[in-house]
Amino acid sequence: MTAAAIPYTPPLKEIRFVLDHLAGMAEVAALPGFEDASPDMVDSILGEAAKIAENVLAPLNRIGDVQGAKLGGDGVARTAEGWGTAWQALVEGGWNGLPFDPARGGMGLPNLLNTAVQEMWHSANMAFALCPMLTQGAVNAVQLYGSDALKDLYLPRMISGEWTGTMNITEPQAGSDLAATRSRAVPNGDHYLVTGQKIFITYGDHDLTENIVHLVLARLPDAPPGVKGISLFVVPKFLVNPDGSLGGRNQVKCVSLEHKLGIHGSPTAVLSFGDEGGATGFLVGEPNRGLEYMFTMMNHARLNVAMQGLSIAERAYQQALAYARDRVQGKPLGWSEGQSKGIVNHPDVRRLLMGMKARIEAMRGILYTAAAAVDVAHHHADEATRGRAALLVDLLTPIAKGWCTETGQQLASDGVQVHGGMGFIEETGAAQHQRDARITTIYEGTTAIQANDLINRKLLRDGGATANGLLDEIAALGGELSGHADEALRVTGAELTAAVHEARQAIAWVLAAAKQDPRLPAAASVTLLELMGVVAGGWQLARAAKVAAERLAEGDADTAFLSAKPLTARFYATHVLPKAAALRATVVNGSASVMALSEEQLFGAA
Amino acid sequence: MPILILADHDNASLKPATAHAVTAATKLGGDVHILVAGRNAAPAAEQAAKLAGVAKVLLADDAAYEHALAEPVAALLVSLASGYSHVLAAATSAGKNVLPRVAALLDVAMISDITAVVAADTFERPIYAGNAVATVQSTDPVKVITVRTTAFEAAPATGSATVESIAAVADPALSGFISAELSKSERPELTSARIVISGGRGMQSGDNFHLLEGIADKLGAAVGASRAAVDAGFVPNDYQVGQTGKIVAPDLYVAVGISGAIQHLAGMKDSKVIVAINKDEEAPIFQVADYGLVADLFKALPELQQAI
Amino acid sequence: MKILCAVKRVVDYNVKIRVKTDQSGVETSNVKFSMNPFDEIAVEEAVRLKEAGTATEIVVVSVGPTQAQETLRTALAMGADRAILVQTDVTTEPLAVAKVLKALVGKEAPGLVILGKQAIDDDCNQTGQMLAALLGWGQGTFASKVAPAGDAVAVTREIDGGLEVVSLKLPAVVTADLRLNEPRYASLPNIMKAKKKPLETVTPDSLGVDVTPRLKTVKVAEPAKRQAGIKVPDVATLVDKLKTEARVI
Repeated sequence: MTAAAIPYTPPLKEIRFVLDHLAGMAEVAALPGFEDASPDMVDSILGEAAKIAENVLAPLNRIGDVQGAKLGGDGVARTAEGWGTAWQALVEGGWNGLPFDPARGGMGLPNLLNTAVQEMWHSANMAFALCPMLTQGAVNAVQLYGSDALKDLYLPRMISGEWTGTMNITEPQAGSDLAATRSRAVPNGDHYLVTGQKIFITYGDHDLTENIVHLVLARLPDAPPGVKGISLFVVPKFLVNPDGSLGGRNQVKCVSLEHKLGIHGSPTAVLSFGDEGGATGFLVGEPNRGLEYMFTMMNHARLNVAMQGLSIAERAYQQALAYARDRVQGKPLGWSEGQSKGIVNHPDVRRLLMGMKARIEAMRGILYTAAAAVDVAHHHADEATRGRAALLVDLLTPIAKGWCTETGQQLASDGVQVHGGMGFIEETGAAQHQRDARITTIYEGTTAIQANDLINRKLLRDGGATANGLLDEIAALGGELSGHADEALRVTGAELTAAVHEARQAIAWVLAAAKQDPRLPAAASVTLLELMGVVAGGWQLARAAKVAAERLAEGDADTAFLSAKPLTARFYATHVLPKAAALRATVVNGSASVMALSEEQLFGAA
Repeated sequence: MPILILADHDNASLKPATAHAVTAATKLGGDVHILVAGRNAAPAAEQAAKLAGVAKVLLADDAAYEHALAEPVAALLVSLASGYSHVLAAATSAGKNVLPRVAALLDVAMISDITAVVAADTFERPIYAGNAVATVQSTDPVKVITVRTTAFEAAPATGSATVESIAAVADPALSGFISAELSKSERPELTSARIVISGGRGMQSGDNFHLLEGIADKLGAAVGASRAAVDAGFVPNDYQVGQTGKIVAPDLYVAVGISGAIQHLAGMKDSKVIVAINKDEEAPIFQVADYGLVADLFKALPELQQAI
Repeated sequence: MKILCAVKRVVDYNVKIRVKTDQSGVETSNVKFSMNPFDEIAVEEAVRLKEAGTATEIVVVSVGPTQAQETLRTALAMGADRAILVQTDVTTEPLAVAKVLKALVGKEAPGLVILGKQAIDDDCNQTGQMLAALLGWGQGTFASKVAPAGDAVAVTREIDGGLEVVSLKLPAVVTADLRLNEPRYASLPNIMKAKKKPLETVTPDSLGVDVTPRLKTVKVAEPAKRQAGIKVPDVATLVDKLKTEARVI
């Protein structure tokens, strides 16, 4: 079978709109150190990244799915045809270094801009884009916590992309529960000997680069039990000589590659460390603080995986839209001469497509807003402003990860639905997006883990202050739009106001219920997360609609693009925001029934 | 005032494209003259003299013109232009090479690739790869024009004009011919063939093009290809039909294993009858095909060769 | 040797163009613009000649609106050294562009001018030939290979029916065809460096060139649409239809 290349056209105009009007690209560019991120520079960078996404990465998406990554007889994982060349294109283009320190070969550009580039790369080829994503995460961890010696030796090549990075957390018995981590590290002179087995290591082995830098969680001999006894180590695939050249092969062995539902192009490795006594590892930062450090990577990765939800939905949407325009099945209801007879004009197909479009724009608003807040939290001159931005990032991270990936999955499924029977056929390409999307609600913390994080660390810890503060802001916007002359804005404002009210009630119930029985909020947590996602999405669409209406009033001639914003917001307001009431009802009334059956009843014991 | 057409020829014979340019010229009102600039080009001049509607053929026979280099040919045309209302050439690689040089030397605008004559000073020409048609009007004293051959019928060889020899003008000596590598084919040229059969990426390999060649030989057709097939290395560049390749408009165009990318359609959509053979029933090529056959080409082509 | 490249800002080749309802032209507001693909090939060729040590400096020129600066920045990011924008909001015709380029050639004295064989908006395929004519230089159009050697350049040209190699005295004008090379992607560091490379803006007036159009565009219309035909069930039916209905075989 010839792999049909399904085209992807980066939505540069949408991206630019969200960057400028929702995320505040200008404010980010005004932060110290980001002077280079001028509007024309942003255009140039996005334009070139779009070309690479469209012409280099997207054509490999299907090839990666069909061929998959395979473990060679020599124990080296082989990526699909063309992936090596594509990686080389990223390295030669210097794309991996976009957000990093210029002193170590980075470009020193904002995280926000990096986020936009990552969106395109994940849309073009999610299985491929995982590799640069994890490498960037590893760079962050070493940059923040590594010794100068480690930074000098490893960062330049990781930033350039000559070497890639991985995150080694999971073990067979330690999935969501990292307290069960067993891998060990024993001091041995200037380094440590690391032993143990890690599973689910994305790009844990591959043939794209000559070296791979693994960041590995392991216990020191005298470590306290539980998560407080985990340390972080750099364990390179090949040892690195002081001059940066490669030395001998380290004791890191790729035991096998997983056979997966999706992202076939991404090698998911089982890695065995120290089979012959111990792999050479180097401690990152201080002992026993590994989990804390790993969370730096993890939080970066969570927002990136949230981005995968958006990216895969965008790709699925583009494909569904193209199909719906071409595919003719009967005459659409109310069809008139001059209109296309494509199924795009059947109301329910349109409903599916609008549902995709509106949620995609909502996700983009949330993720770019969060990305801009990351920049402000790190770079703003004012400490209080940095602190506020950091709180927003903390709050939005679990909501974005949970809601955008669940939504991405739903939209990839809707994309298949638009295709009808053809969608179920692999050659069509729509099914791949659904299979690829499936992992996003699982890795880097399942949706339930995100929901726990939301409740325990983001709501209960400050008594709901940050969340209610955000809801105040959203309510103010809802109130403002409720009185607008434009009907679409008015409806959006009213529905947003109502949804905020539901969210407040749900949060109040969670805060109260937590005092009675911790299982109650836990049982409601994913529903609450969805409710917060629904509201946050409505917030972003309302902001977009407001900006668009203002620009139109100012005489901006791009009427087709701008006038779509209030109409898209109204669709979301009438199709998605009303779900807030049902979600609130489930949170408030439904928790007790989750655990009501006894375990025996659940298993049907007579 | 008369109209001058620069002949496209290889000295030994006149290219069919010139006959199409003659038809365009006859719509301008004025005697039609043809300039044959070449070396030992009398045979080409004689063929030009036979084209209906041609009043006179000018033959400039000189070593400088042997390879139709733009610099000496343009110099010659410029020396003649003042006696003409229009200077035309077929929009072939030779015509497109020389005429803009002539226009610039005459300090006049040039009109490329006309597809219709609205009036002696007004013409239609495709822009944006044929996705729009512009009507343009020229007020220049001499109109310099290339003619899209597919838009005009060929003038029949029923005339008998005189051939008049003219002297060469000074060669600017800026360029020299080194070599040419022309594809040798018994089949007609793509741009002038009455039937064209083209293969796309669906052919899967260059070897499989023999399936098309067998049919082409039976029909007297030319063989073409989509850009995808050329890029995949199945066949040489000069097979390419499309926006960036050759523009064809035969009586019958058979597209085999071609999906119908817009850039391919731009090169063949003016064909009189289009047949598409593709196993993907959703392929866009079917939207322009008069007759579509959803079939595996490896089965359909041998059957077709049998049936014709 | 200095090389001068000319680049045009055109509606991106992926954009499905729409004719304006008043038939005055093609809708260009709010559509994506990019560098003319053939010009991109021209710039790439110049950069390769510089990398090979043949060229010493690459000057890139665009004649067009202020936004053509972005097109020039793209060329600078690919590796051109400096840029000149000849700023005009007039829809320029090839003859006018050739005159502007001639004036700049007079100032810059390049050994070679490379530009795309045609722009994908007006599809004229004239500017390079016209520039060569105005300069009294040789021309190598539709180039698929460019090989400078000493005071001449050998250009392989894509012509109907095959390839032709000509030798041109330098200085000369070359126009790039599709297969001359495959343009590179600009690297991120080079995109950033491009911003700091010099970009000079001049006007046609300051060069003494009148860019007023010579041709009048009477109207721009949609091309006649072709209707889809019928599907035939098998080869036999197809042959029958071609013989009896269409009568083309």
